[in-house]
Amino acid sequence: MKLLLWALVAASICVSACTAVAPYQRGYLARDDMALEGNPGFAKAIEKTFAAKEAASGGASVGGGGCGCN
Amino acid sequence: MRALGCALALLLAPGAFALEAGGAVPELAVARLEEPAQALSLASLRGSVVYVDFWASWCVPCRLSMPALDALYKQNRARGFAVVGVNKDVSVADARRFLVKVPVTFALASDAQDAAARAFDVKAMPSGYLVDRKGIVRKVHRGFTAETAETLAREVEALLKEPS
Repeated sequence: MKLLLWALVAASICVSACTAVAPYQRGYLARDDMALEGNPGFAKAIEKTFAAKEAASGGASVGGGGCGCN
Repeated sequence: MRALGCALALLLAPGAFALEAGGAVPELAVARLEEPAQALSLASLRGSVVYVDFWASWCVPCRLSMPALDALYKQNRARGFAVVGVNKDVSVADARRFLVKVPVTFALASDAQDAAARAFDVKAMPSGYLVDRKGIVRKVHRGFTAETAETLAREVEALLKEPS
């Protein structure tokens, strides 16, 4: 039991070490070079193909910076 | 049990310092956006009703909030209302490009080292902190809609009527 608790403490320290992107730092994520696919035309084509094959759309990046306000 | 308490404290630590209504406005000075050598001290605005707004060019609701805040500022500045727009763009050029499309007349500041954003613990963009004449945060607005603009106008009016 004691070991489990210390493992939990160690895990908590590890989790706290993870750095989340603060809402005010999302300008870095809005940069073009942060996109998963650098070519916007190609990204659109891939998204369209995915929507046609899977009969589902969404989940990809959208316009705007993801301000976390909603 | 002590270890469990310690673990919980560590997990909850990042969210423990949010500035909410009732808290004192942080005593800090921010650099002016166009003249970084000049500092704008929030303490120097004590006695005025102040709205500290965190904005960025990539923040979509800021396209709505900035003109609304400018209109509110122009309407009430003679009565002791001030707006400080703290920019959170990575580059000042992005902010300038935005301001060409959405010009404003209130004071603008930059926060390159995130000191102000950390002091206010900004949770969303835009975030606005309405501060009364005594330096106490009376209302926090996270996000911005047309409804926020109406609510804010009423809140500013009420705070301007309060004695300093």
